[in-house]
Amino acid sequence: MSVGEALVGRASVATAPRRHAFGRDWFLGYAFILPVLVVIVGLIAYPLSYSIWLSLQDVKVGGVGRFIGFDNYYKLLFDTNARIHGDFLNSVKVTLLYVCGAIVGKFLVGMVSALILNAHIRARHFWRTLLFLPWSIPAIVGAYSWKFIYNDINGVANTALTNAGLIDRPILFLASPDLAIWSVLVAAIWQGTPFWTMTFLAGLQSIPTEMYEAAGIDGATTAQSYWFITLPNLSSVILVTTMLSTIWTTNAIQFIYILTNGGPGGATETFPMLAVSQGMRAYDLGIASAVPLLFFPFFALMIYFLTRRMLRAEA
Amino acid sequence: MADVTMGARSMAPARSIPVWSWLASKNRGYYLAGYAILAVLGFWTIFPFYWQVATSLRSDVDLYTPVVSLIPTSLTLEHYGKVFSPNSQLPTQLRNSMLVATGAAVVSVILGSLAGYALTRLSFFGRAGIARILVFAYLAPGTILFIPLYVMMSNLGLRDTLLGVTLAHLTFSVPFATWMLMGYFKTIPIELEEAAMMDGASRPTILWRIVLPLAAPAVVVVAVFAFTLSWNEFLYALVLLQSRDKMTAPIGLTAYAVGDVTYWGQMMAAATIMSIPPLLLYLFGQRWVIAGWTAGAVKS
Repeated sequence: MSVGEALVGRASVATAPRRHAFGRDWFLGYAFILPVLVVIVGLIAYPLSYSIWLSLQDVKVGGVGRFIGFDNYYKLLFDTNARIHGDFLNSVKVTLLYVCGAIVGKFLVGMVSALILNAHIRARHFWRTLLFLPWSIPAIVGAYSWKFIYNDINGVANTALTNAGLIDRPILFLASPDLAIWSVLVAAIWQGTPFWTMTFLAGLQSIPTEMYEAAGIDGATTAQSYWFITLPNLSSVILVTTMLSTIWTTNAIQFIYILTNGGPGGATETFPMLAVSQGMRAYDLGIASAVPLLFFPFFALMIYFLTRRMLRAEA
Repeated sequence: MADVTMGARSMAPARSIPVWSWLASKNRGYYLAGYAILAVLGFWTIFPFYWQVATSLRSDVDLYTPVVSLIPTSLTLEHYGKVFSPNSQLPTQLRNSMLVATGAAVVSVILGSLAGYALTRLSFFGRAGIARILVFAYLAPGTILFIPLYVMMSNLGLRDTLLGVTLAHLTFSVPFATWMLMGYFKTIPIELEEAAMMDGASRPTILWRIVLPLAAPAVVVVAVFAFTLSWNEFLYALVLLQSRDKMTAPIGLTAYAVGDVTYWGQMMAAATIMSIPPLLLYLFGQRWVIAGWTAGAVKS
């Protein structure tokens, strides 16, 4: 890129002596950018600021808003009398548990899958295609498949356990408050692991083979090679994958929405689910806007970091 | 999509860490353990999908017995018959999904090609800033936008319309397409354009005669990606669409659960049908798909 740029730069000096204040190709450049800018401003930037404006109002679906300053935020964060305060604290707890569980699970399964796929195995292509499959079908379809597997009446998980004589009564995978979030996590890990396997596998393949050979000659054990060669070389891949996956996992609501709908009793109500239920069922658009906005700073930080990294990698 | 080809090449050859083979030579046990883990992973991966297809092929009698056999005893297409019967909404919903996803994909690649080219090849004030905003928009989560988009679409009279959902899908597919195409434009040798410029070709001629033919394959790949993203989208479609004949296929799936009763057979039949387009894309375009998705994460 930089070389190409330098070349073009030089050519332009030679052919076009008069430089424009906005740059050499300013007219064509702005003309080409304009449609995308319209989308970004009209469908992303404007809604984002509109969301902030909504969060400062007492506004119901179909009603007229009334400006109330930071009351919605106060209610969510500090008002111990408001029911929504408890719901919000609960959603913070559930979101953290859900994200951490999902990240740990996807990391472990993804790492094991990638290490095996990177080894000398037969029919590698077949196994790779197979292990990436969950990611290629719509998430909603996976969510319903898992819902049927977990079903208490004719779900295959309960039937199999009963037939094996391990349980007498069906386990309420999705309806018991203690179990629900773990059941959802299993399904979410199933769907999200392939992305981790993919990035880990690509990362593993970029580690020079010579490093392992050298370590082998020096008498390093497998565990040592893994700890001192594989992990350090994968560290940046792990960091970026964790961040991307955190953003996507938190904000994808399909699995929770379909499997438990936030229940039982809020046990799986992450903050996007709280926003959906406040907006679409309680019709309170002010609160529903404020909830995701309170989480936005964390995402903005991660996105800022990722943006810098991705643009640097591109250059 | 420079990375696409590069990633694809690095994934394709059967290169592997010698640690494993070196271990295997010492001890075959590692090999066996490896295959055992692989078998478990394979089972865990394929089972929900297998169960979905198997369920769609069982009769209702077979489905609601307490004794469930892993392999369906009698296969039937009755559920597929039902989801495609004249009073079923599935055909309409598949058509809706097709329209929305095609619209989003076409608009995204057109806008993305123009912007991607400008951001990589033209020099103008504010270029770096715009590139940064684009990546930011690409990663910005939809949970922040769905409430304001819902209110906006209601005010514009676009709630419960396919146009409204298509516009909502542009929020992720346009930044996505632009970002992917930016990567690709960087791989086209700039010398081709310079040579044409020396020969006196104008910018539009260069674009039309040189850049576009070279970019065509990438544009197709990105269009197909954008199509799948939109085809699978759930949140925006869920909050924007209410009428059953306006729903996209993923939202239509929720209608097979009525109160406490779920029509599992029909639901799984519909689910299997709507999995086919993304599945075909994955099976035939695997190397681009994988390389494209890992591009941003892996490069250091």
